[in-house]
Amino acid sequence: MGPLAPNEIISENTNFLLAFFIGIAFGWVLESSGFSSSRKLAGIFYGYDTVVLKVFFTGAITAMLGLLFMSLFGWVDLDLVYVNPTYLTSAIIGGVVMGAGFIMGGFCPGTSFCGAAIGKIDAMVFIVGLFLGVYGFAFTYPLWEKMYMAKYLGEPRVSEKLGMSDGLFGLFLIIAAMGMFIVAEWAEKKWPREEY
Amino acid sequence: MKPLKLLALIVIPLGIIIAAVPPDRVKHFRLTADELLQEAGAGVQFISPDVVADMLVQKDPSLRLIDVRTPEEFDAYHMDGAINIPLSSLLSDEYTDILNQEAYMNVLYSNGSVYANQAWMITRQLGYENNFVLEGGLNYWFGNILSPEAPSQTSPNEEFAKYDFRKSTAAALGGGSIVATEGSATAVKAVKPPVTSKAKKKPAGGC
Repeated sequence: MGPLAPNEIISENTNFLLAFFIGIAFGWVLESSGFSSSRKLAGIFYGYDTVVLKVFFTGAITAMLGLLFMSLFGWVDLDLVYVNPTYLTSAIIGGVVMGAGFIMGGFCPGTSFCGAAIGKIDAMVFIVGLFLGVYGFAFTYPLWEKMYMAKYLGEPRVSEKLGMSDGLFGLFLIIAAMGMFIVAEWAEKKWPREEY
Repeated sequence: MKPLKLLALIVIPLGIIIAAVPPDRVKHFRLTADELLQEAGAGVQFISPDVVADMLVQKDPSLRLIDVRTPEEFDAYHMDGAINIPLSSLLSDEYTDILNQEAYMNVLYSNGSVYANQAWMITRQLGYENNFVLEGGLNYWFGNILSPEAPSQTSPNEEFAKYDFRKSTAAALGGGSIVATEGSATAVKAVKPPVTSKAKKKPAGGC
């Protein structure tokens, strides 16, 4: 049955339409979880607010469980689900750049649009910077190409590398996430901050 | 109840369930029984021996012959360039890449067409494409392609055209007698093809 678009159950255009509605729902959830506040977002780096970690990890394990169960029921073919290929060097450098931008600007790309949508000027400035970065990278791409393409690993999965089943790795990930949530709630009590 | 506890109560049991499921259970069949019955009934899997013979003569690189008989039978005789995948080990991992691919047109054959058909049904049930069954199997291949019988004088012209085609094919494939086929110098090496194959021939259907 699934995935719907690769199996041509729905057309490419319907796929985009669904993506549009899911995108709006995603923005709404971000905003209502308080993700349009850069102080709340930056809290993860200082320990006074860990909602970023909690929301995204909960989202990740929910999606993971959903996919594993749907695959078990024969509703989705995991082999056809697109996985971003791994280029190790650019993944590490990109992660560092993204993290630095996150802590300096107080937004990540998705939440900056959330903030801009409710009229936050800092979020709009962040978006200008985001586009400067995108175009800067695109126009100087030949300079980076070699580094960008370095250490291509294909589409490795952690469960494959560790030689365990997807389900078992999923269970470990859930337990690890729960451990992180406990540490996060402890950190919120340890470094509280009034009024942010 | 605290949200974290509630979340833990939901996701940890689900995680335990999914961890306990054998990984291969996730591999599922892609065709329903109805779909398979429809395909098998329409005979879309059959490829006419004349088409295969033509492809062999043309040295079509996209053709790949697969012998589903036992290794003993395969050693005794097999079509030139064929590879052996015994029906009993059809599902072994080492053959998955051969049977589930898009580059070649796999033609399965056995003595008749029963075993080849069984092999096709299994691969089709797994969702594999590009596997076909040599219509009539080796018996028909010997009796009609490699040693064709001249049609009677009153036969329609098409029969004579077919006969002429088969006679020339038989010569090219080293046919004529069963003994001569083995190790024949003129035989065509159809396999060991390059990976690219743009023009994939559609099989001639059930007739």
